[in-house]
Amino acid sequence: MSIAKFKRNYYGYFFITPFIIGFLIFGLYPVYNTLALSFTDTTLMSKNADFVGLKNFERLFADDVFMNAVKNTWLIWILNFFPQIGIALLLSAWFTNVRLKIKGIGLWRALFFLPNLLVPASVAALFFAFFSFYGPVNQFMVRYGFLPEAMHYLQSIPITRGLVIFIQWWMWFGQTVIIVMAGMTSIPIALYEAAMVDGATASQMFRRITLPLLKPILIYIFVTSLVGGMQMFDIPFLLTDGRGSPGGSIQTNNILMYMKFASSKGHIGAASSVGVLVFIMTSICALGIFYFLRERDDTVVIKSSKKSLFKKNT
Amino acid sequence: MFRKFHIFSSIILVVAFLLAACGSPAPATEAPVATEAPAVTEAPVAATEAPIAELEGTLNVWSFTNEIRTMAIAFQGRHPKVKVVYTMIPMTNGEYQTKVKAASGTADSPDVVALEAAFVKEWVESDLLADLSDLVPLTKELKTFPSVVEVGTYEGVTKAYSYQATPGAFFYRRSIAKECLGTDDPEQVQAMVSDLDKFVETAAKIKECGTSDYYTVGTSGELFNPFLANREQPWVVDDTLVLDPMVEEYVKFAKLMRDNGYESQATQWSEGWFAGMNDTLVDANGTSKKVFSYFLPTWGLPYVLIPNSKSDTTDTGGDWAMINGPMAYQWGGTWVGALEGSPNSELAKEFVKFVALDEENLTNWATGVYTNEYLKAIDPSTPDDQQQALGDFVSSQVVVEKITNTFDGSDLAKWLGGQNSYAAFGQAAPNVNGALMTGSDDAIQRALNDPLASYLNGDITEAEMWVQWLDAVRNEFPDLILPEPPVTQ
Repeated sequence: MSIAKFKRNYYGYFFITPFIIGFLIFGLYPVYNTLALSFTDTTLMSKNADFVGLKNFERLFADDVFMNAVKNTWLIWILNFFPQIGIALLLSAWFTNVRLKIKGIGLWRALFFLPNLLVPASVAALFFAFFSFYGPVNQFMVRYGFLPEAMHYLQSIPITRGLVIFIQWWMWFGQTVIIVMAGMTSIPIALYEAAMVDGATASQMFRRITLPLLKPILIYIFVTSLVGGMQMFDIPFLLTDGRGSPGGSIQTNNILMYMKFASSKGHIGAASSVGVLVFIMTSICALGIFYFLRERDDTVVIKSSKKSLFKKNT
Repeated sequence: MFRKFHIFSSIILVVAFLLAACGSPAPATEAPVATEAPAVTEAPVAATEAPIAELEGTLNVWSFTNEIRTMAIAFQGRHPKVKVVYTMIPMTNGEYQTKVKAASGTADSPDVVALEAAFVKEWVESDLLADLSDLVPLTKELKTFPSVVEVGTYEGVTKAYSYQATPGAFFYRRSIAKECLGTDDPEQVQAMVSDLDKFVETAAKIKECGTSDYYTVGTSGELFNPFLANREQPWVVDDTLVLDPMVEEYVKFAKLMRDNGYESQATQWSEGWFAGMNDTLVDANGTSKKVFSYFLPTWGLPYVLIPNSKSDTTDTGGDWAMINGPMAYQWGGTWVGALEGSPNSELAKEFVKFVALDEENLTNWATGVYTNEYLKAIDPSTPDDQQQALGDFVSSQVVVEKITNTFDGSDLAKWLGGQNSYAAFGQAAPNVNGALMTGSDDAIQRALNDPLASYLNGDITEAEMWVQWLDAVRNEFPDLILPEPPVTQ
């Protein structure tokens, strides 16, 4: 094979090599290394480490701390994701609606996106100060008679969880609005015009045109949000004591992993076992989403179009 | 990327040093600083300084407190050819501890690390710190308080030293004492709080006299350290977690303080806790509340209490007094150690020696010599608030005895209504016990905070609290043998 021919056929590989190398070093190797570490009792503070088999995993299930963290993570993610996607769909539908003609869409979009630009540390510090015992929220609630006396908000399980859910929602719904709007504006306007001519109502158009055509975008949001949600860390870590208090109610997977990593000796072997389980769980769920939401009616569309072609010909 | 930048910058540094060493005019430009800096100190004592070859090189120092930066600048004043690269990482939620652990043994590893009392033991017990036992004779010379050396020692090898000794004290408001207890005289007040039962009686008096607007303490959490200091056994003995009766006593005491309204419920280090120090504490109804006392150790006076005693409208300075309180205790302190395998081990040792075992430096440190002007003369890039305030309590008994009298009539004494805090701490320091500290203390104690807070609020029972605590400990210490949760009524 001549060099010229080689170049013509394979030069694409040259272009993707940097990515492949980067992926192998920064993507695949850490995954492999985490898996290898999870079978050892490696710590940061001593030099020798032994292979301990599945002991780290056994310990995770010996009490309900790990399962509690998994439950918390799912609860916080689900309760923030569905309101988030709901609000995003509603706002995007309004903003892209030809009849409503809302003014200053760019400004609104920027305003909704703004919380996402804030540093999580300062957001957590802000909410911590607001809801502390001698903070402004207590002053407002007591002075205007909503509460008989000051309370420790951040020591109440439902309130603390609610705050984390609210902060996550508030920080991320703007981002979702932008993606959903991009998806909606890419739907050909002709479809809506045709529907209007046929006398469809706004809700019919939303359900029969917008939603089905938006499905790939929604799946994308669903999966990225799931991956991000399973790794939720900064807000719950910073809002209280970094251990998921009160009562471990906002202790997420990653906080538990970090606690094991940061504990006195730095048990990175035990921390890795949490990481491995979270990785497996997230992978299964993401694949499940793709499987259950895949385009099941592809074949039907092809069949029917073939039939119609056939009919025309006859 | 960041690491690359470090490698790149260190190459640049090395090249720069090579050039500086080769070219003879280069050191000459540094010379004026060298001659100026010592001129500012009055008559260098140089008692411990043998005529050694002039030190040079670059030293990486990591700390969680900017105090060490002052030390680093002073060290550069002593050794003008040394460059100290100082990195500050806050200790919030254990961030500093994690970073140092992760960096040790890598190319980014620092040469010298500062270690806080809460986690110094886990470092001293590990293989990561260099053996600095040959500095021990200096501690004899300076009569370093034995507990300070004991904390830095594991299995006969001393690895970390401290410039501080940290006996604790009880600071109270003279005006409230006069109003509610009939006297503000330290000896008489001490008699009223000399043990826990009396302390509780006094707390009841203060609550009654202030019609519930006076709290005895900001939070009962301040008493955790005094209780812990009076345990029989450390947290961990032979890989087994020990629940000393004093810990159970503390939980009972904290519940009593909460249920009777003797504490303001402001969490330690929160806005409300500081507000109590300058009378700006206001509850949710807008009613002004006062806090009678704070449990703080040596460093609490210059770093916490005095700076926070002033607000825009109030100033409680001069209205404070200091006594021993119900229990002797110690709290906190900063040790310094050199990392094993550092390429600058000699320089690192010299730095540790300067920080913790140098009579001149310790004297300057405690007597307010390190002013902004002093530090700026050595390093012009010093920040404006770097100066070391008067009155940190140092670890050397020799220095303490020499300088105690200089605090009579000082600003510090005026702030305490005429008391010499240095003399009082000097009496308490030799009694401090360093044997109770173990490497696991920090994590074990932090694990109790949240279950305890829930219990005090009445959200969970005492039995549930112990279970939650043991669960948390088990998850951080996979190898520790845990006791059964204590039986509660």
